[in-house]
Amino acid sequence: MRTVVIKDCEGIAVPNAIVFDIAQMDVKNCIGCWSCWWKTPGICAFKDLDEFYHQYITADKAIYFSKVTKGFVSGDLKTIFDRMIPLYLPYTTHKTGESMHVPRYDKYPDIEFYYDGEFETDAGRQIFVDYINRVFYQFYSKNVTVKPIAEFMADGGNVA
Amino acid sequence: MNTIILNGSPKGNSQSCNSKIYAEEFIKNMKNPCEIKCIANTDPKELARYVESFDAIIMILPLYIHAMPGIVMKFIERLERTTTEGKYIGFIIQAGFMETAQEKYVERYFADLAKQLNYNYLGTVSKGEAAGTYMFPKMFKKVLGLVADLGVIYEETHAFDKDIVKKLGKPYELSKSQLRLLKLVHMIGLDNVGWHKFLKQNNAFDKRLDKPFLY
Ligand SMILES: Cc1cc2nc3c(=O)[nH]c(=O)nc-3n(C[C@H](O)[C@H](O)[C@H](O)COP(=O)(O)O)c2cc1C
Repeated sequence: MRTVVIKDCEGIAVPNAIVFDIAQMDVKNCIGCWSCWWKTPGICAFKDLDEFYHQYITADKAIYFSKVTKGFVSGDLKTIFDRMIPLYLPYTTHKTGESMHVPRYDKYPDIEFYYDGEFETDAGRQIFVDYINRVFYQFYSKNVTVKPIAEFMADGGNVA
Repeated sequence: MNTIILNGSPKGNSQSCNSKIYAEEFIKNMKNPCEIKCIANTDPKELARYVESFDAIIMILPLYIHAMPGIVMKFIERLERTTTEGKYIGFIIQAGFMETAQEKYVERYFADLAKQLNYNYLGTVSKGEAAGTYMFPKMFKKVLGLVADLGVIYEETHAFDKDIVKKLGKPYELSKSQLRLLKLVHMIGLDNVGWHKFLKQNNAFDKRLDKPFLY
């Protein structure tokens, strides 16, 4: 089983996984140019995530470690979400009764999403969790869990 | 009320930027048009300080993956909770997908964010099926007219007009008959005609289903 880790918080180590540490990456922001749909299908105009795309799309599982900023994912992690668009086709399907992207690949990794940080209210936490679940539903990941980082530690997760 | 408009599209001031069109339309018929600033070409920290001098912030932005673009979140990270009472914040989202239920996740977040920042929440206006605005401005004449009216009424009342918000927000979900029509259009292959023309123009049609990262 191949696991890729997308890390946007400190003090976490996952053995036997390919780790992308957002703090070390300086990922370019999506500029909405649509090259990845209309000019070079599936390929972003920026090359900085090519290795990431390959590892992500060939992995069985992706583990995210996200910090919580202003009750949301950080701008850095949001940019990673935006840059996922090349992994989908430029079409819309309405099969589920709503507008959805169409998958470009046959499978997408399962998601374990851990968040590190406090929310001002329980309602705020729910907004965050619902958002993350929706993103990976839209992204065709089959099994998605969203949990506070304490649960990763409790399950024997490693601290760097 | 001293209001600043923030264009949250990564396309900034480009001619192909829909948010810019909606922003300009929003202030078009105001007696004293608000200043518009682009998040895309401004340092987020400086912009966050700058907006503190205004009574109200209205952000006009595209929907990116059910929420704000990364650059907008980078700006939001820099906003600080205000100790001044009577500040306002509101959002106008335009998006690609047709139904505005796509916006519901971020609408909830924006309402929560306003609380976190101690701003009064003006609300979030959502408009779906807007990606083509810059390509076919004539087809969007009615929509843009509503946005201009929204601006005029905002200047007078410091609020988003409920009727206009409702009109722009339609459809919230796809109805059975809309889905039936979409299915039919798909079956006869009409849904992607325009897109395929694009791909052919770019000599990319044969590559449209490529899986370039499976190696
Ligand atoms: C990376 C990316 C992600 C997007 N995600 C969504 C989405 O989740 N839902 C949607 O309805 N439209 C989505 N869109 C479409 C844009 O919201 C739409 O094209 C908008 O009109 C762009 O506005 P702009 O020209 O001001 O940047 C996305 C576009 C891009 C480039």
